[in-house]
Amino acid sequence: MNRDSIIYVVIFTFFTAFVFVFLIALADNATAAQVARNQELVTAEAFLNVVGKQSDSSEQALADFKNLFGQVEGEAVVKANVDGTPMLVKQFHGQGLWGTVTGVVATDAAVERFIGLDIISHAETPGLGGRIEEDWFKEQFRGEKILPEGITFRKGEGGADSDSENSAVDGITGASLTSAAMEVIINNEIKTLREAK
Amino acid sequence: MNQMTDSPRTILKKNLWTDNPIFVQILGICSTLAVTNKLANTLIMTAAVIFVTGLSNITVSALKGLIPRKVRMIAQTIIIAFYVIIVDIVLRAYLPDISKALGPYVGLIITNCIIMGRAEAFAQANPPMLSLWDGLTSGAGYMGVLVIIAVVRELLGSGSLLGFQVFGPNFTNWTIMVMPPSAFFLLGALIWGAKTIMIKKEAA
Repeated sequence: MNRDSIIYVVIFTFFTAFVFVFLIALADNATAAQVARNQELVTAEAFLNVVGKQSDSSEQALADFKNLFGQVEGEAVVKANVDGTPMLVKQFHGQGLWGTVTGVVATDAAVERFIGLDIISHAETPGLGGRIEEDWFKEQFRGEKILPEGITFRKGEGGADSDSENSAVDGITGASLTSAAMEVIINNEIKTLREAK
Repeated sequence: MNQMTDSPRTILKKNLWTDNPIFVQILGICSTLAVTNKLANTLIMTAAVIFVTGLSNITVSALKGLIPRKVRMIAQTIIIAFYVIIVDIVLRAYLPDISKALGPYVGLIITNCIIMGRAEAFAQANPPMLSLWDGLTSGAGYMGVLVIIAVVRELLGSGSLLGFQVFGPNFTNWTIMVMPPSAFFLLGALIWGAKTIMIKKEAA
């Protein structure tokens, strides 16, 4: 058959596309359960991390998550009681510089201090805005005081702000826009948590 | 172009050095700038590229008798995209942390000019096993250059290597090193160095 005839080209293109897409669909389907479980685990670990809990294994993490927070519906405010301390925990999403940032934030019952913050996913520039997922950045929120007008991100020295009374954290050097976006996201969440307390 | 007669050893030498995809052909520069600020990410990314160049080359070469000339580029793109998506799916299911760290760059392997270039320039005209070898070594040539840049950038930009602190807490990070322009400067310096050595060798 003539390899340049229209019929051959159409049949070949259709057939090639069909075979490769079919194989991709098969691979995607085969790993779907694993991917869903990974996602569940990431969320569970973020919740546990925010309230300062560590789990030894992934099974343990999923079980601890159920015990502490019960059935979490999307981004609803969860009133949890961790080791006798009442607190508000909430998953959030907001607009970062390049895409959606999702994470978990926890405050005390009166929304006067942060318990912690964790980032689940983001699309910020790796090495710059992407550093919002690094520990030094997230740990700044542990025990940080929340003023009535919210929290501020400062242009810091590139390290972390260790003063938990000043209601300010250091933004990320070289990522002013991501830092500004995070400031808006966190302050919005503080408002939501205050309404729900 | 006498690629038809190249032996595996010549191909290896060409792809790693005299015809290196990055510092001689200047291909795949965008990913060089994007994924070299952390060594771990660079290693996984370049391993994925080696996998894709190798397998897309062998597939294109095996199918070359069937692919109509008019649509050969589209057919190559489908084959390349297929392997890239497979890599993406595997990373998402079994290495979720790394998949998260690489984000959109895995998908962007599809647009890496090296892969398309090898499929078009080599696999279309050579037998499958030789094409596989050509793809693997081209990817290795890409890996070598990226790893050198990533080591310098992570060391100076974050004071660490593969995430381990090397310089201690008093080291001031060179912020420029985590930003894409630094990869440009380093790549420029590297091309300069490599070319100087090559010219000296030729003269000798």
